[in-house]
Amino acid sequence: MVAGADVRRQVDVIRVDPQSFPNGTPAEKAEDPDLGHAIIPAERYTSADFMAREWAMMWTRVWLLGGRSDDIKEPGDYICTDIGRESVLIVRQPDGSVRAFPNVCLHRGNKLRPEGRGTVEQFRCIYHHWTYGLDGTIQRIPDLGTFPQGAPPEGRLPSLPCAEWGSFVWFSLNPDVEPLQAYLDPLPQHLEPYRFERMAMKRDITVEWDCNWKASVDAFNESYHVQGIHPQLLWYLDDVNIQIDCYARHNRYLIPFATISPRVAVPSSIPPAIDEIMRKAGMDPAEYEGRVTDIRRDVQKHMRANGAKAGKDYSRLNDDQLTDDYHYMIFPNVTLNTHADDLMLFRQRPHPTDPDKMLYDIWTFELVPDGEDWPERPKHQHFRHGDKSIGQVLDQDAVNLPTVQKGMHSSAFKGLWLGDQELRIRHFHKVLDDYLFGPVDAKTAQPKTDAGRI
Amino acid sequence: MVRLQSVEERHMDLGLAGKRAIIVGAARGIGIATAEILAREGCDLAICARSEDGVKDAVASLKRYGTNVVGAAVNVKKEDAYKAWLAHAQEQLGGCDVLVPISSAGGGIGSEKYWQNAFDVDVMGPVRAVEAVLPGMIERQGGAIVLIATTSAAEAMGGPQPYNALKGSLVIWGKQLALAHGKDGIRVNVVSPGPVEFEGGNWDMIKGTMEKFYQSILRQQPSGRLGTPEEIARAIAFLASPAASWCNGSHLTVDGGFTNRTHF
Repeated sequence: MVAGADVRRQVDVIRVDPQSFPNGTPAEKAEDPDLGHAIIPAERYTSADFMAREWAMMWTRVWLLGGRSDDIKEPGDYICTDIGRESVLIVRQPDGSVRAFPNVCLHRGNKLRPEGRGTVEQFRCIYHHWTYGLDGTIQRIPDLGTFPQGAPPEGRLPSLPCAEWGSFVWFSLNPDVEPLQAYLDPLPQHLEPYRFERMAMKRDITVEWDCNWKASVDAFNESYHVQGIHPQLLWYLDDVNIQIDCYARHNRYLIPFATISPRVAVPSSIPPAIDEIMRKAGMDPAEYEGRVTDIRRDVQKHMRANGAKAGKDYSRLNDDQLTDDYHYMIFPNVTLNTHADDLMLFRQRPHPTDPDKMLYDIWTFELVPDGEDWPERPKHQHFRHGDKSIGQVLDQDAVNLPTVQKGMHSSAFKGLWLGDQELRIRHFHKVLDDYLFGPVDAKTAQPKTDAGRI
Repeated sequence: MVRLQSVEERHMDLGLAGKRAIIVGAARGIGIATAEILAREGCDLAICARSEDGVKDAVASLKRYGTNVVGAAVNVKKEDAYKAWLAHAQEQLGGCDVLVPISSAGGGIGSEKYWQNAFDVDVMGPVRAVEAVLPGMIERQGGAIVLIATTSAAEAMGGPQPYNALKGSLVIWGKQLALAHGKDGIRVNVVSPGPVEFEGGNWDMIKGTMEKFYQSILRQQPSGRLGTPEEIARAIAFLASPAASWCNGSHLTVDGGFTNRTHF
């Protein structure tokens, strides 16, 4: 229980014994880092200089999520994804491996492909038909004899690090980046039990948001806002009994679902959203004789007992994972709401030039029961915030962000005043600082470089 | 010349002091509010509810009025245990003058089981309680029974639910009980509450989970708010009391003017 939260009831959430599932997702509470209580300066969200430093020191050094592996199953299948001012081609090779290249023709700088997915035999620039193979090598330059200097000597598009993990394909703009698995550590061990490759994409949406990308990351990195903007979720999850775990770069929190927040009285009837959880698990809420506060445990037991019959193998997940949200953040910009039956993933991308804008990608996936047909992949949608609903809860998350961003520009607002429930936000900014300014010296508590620090 | 009224004349006495009341479902909401008023008015009480803790807390609280209060955790759906408790409660009280069966299975759509639940709790709860207390009331030639229906029986609410339909059956049955047992000095009346809000109640949850729907219901209330359990309980207490001696077979809507129809 978070000390100091305004609650009506003391609730002791039953959690799995971390020792009881040694080969699954680690459930142990990590020791909280001591990150102090200083404000997080607002300028980090508004400054063009800070944005430039993020690009130079962070975005171009880390691993970045490119897309879904099963979107590029066959040789020649590619994903073209933009990050900041760069655009990247991720291409399935004839030998089954993946490669990534900057999406730019070496001739006059035209983009080879528009953002999206496709299948090609080669990449041919539509301007003068310079043509590149799936491995990025120059295959043809029309009228090569008219270039006295010859073809570009490297003979190919530069290669970017590219690798697959967790049913996703990742790339880096940093040729010297460490191996992907090392970068993601310890999350592969945490997330592999979900076996995301069994889940099919259900939604693929990009929304243009008028806020800095970090405001969006922050919005999903704490549960404190539930009582503020998602009051309906107080009859769906326990926003107070949260386990927060910060690792080297990445972090997570574990939120009990299918239960009632200690902030509200226990209702006599089953709340609609929990009713839906029970139905999805194959239970009939009308048959349920237990107390509302027992539902979470009983859903877990029911799923454990009946999952296999429904073609759903939960054998690698612990009981809490059958109901709860194991909510992960992969630095710098991936948020994963992981559940036994589904995954809701957000990718936050910076605008190429404007710190007040960003791209918010929503990818959702659902477990396909054994023996059932793989559903058709949804078409990608792209729209501006407010033009369409993205669902009640996410609309509620989104509605504040433009006004938060405006407020960040106010001279009266110095920065984020964070509480204990927002430790992940503090941790995220600490990791970002490590990239931008070098790791903090443990002895002096000062960063090793202070240049340009905000 | 103004005649000074005596204290006795200024206050209407409900005449509940010394009565023995059974309330089925008295741990929360309208049930506990009714129990509070009856205890304050001097009734001995036997109460039950599903939750052991709920009953324990309610009994402890109700005892502060100084009457005899007993209670037990009972699931109305468990026929044998429920009937045994009804018999035991009458023994503990030495009889029953007032019966208010309130327990409800609540709403629900989409599963046949909701019909069974509503029948077992909302219908057979009152039926079994009435059958348990009637012989004693007939023998003593007196008693008051208040059944609790809902405005959702008279006007659509929340879709075609077993709750609405089976609560409606209590209005019919209550009237016919009244006709049958008037000769025994037993009065049977029905109260239909409109939306009532209290912490932990359905409308408290609806306010949090379905804000727009909740607001639409508020707009439908002439006074712009929902009822409180106490406002329903006062009507129940009145109908249960000797002060309502000429109310028999009546159906009282207590909804702050929520329903649209005219109650001819």
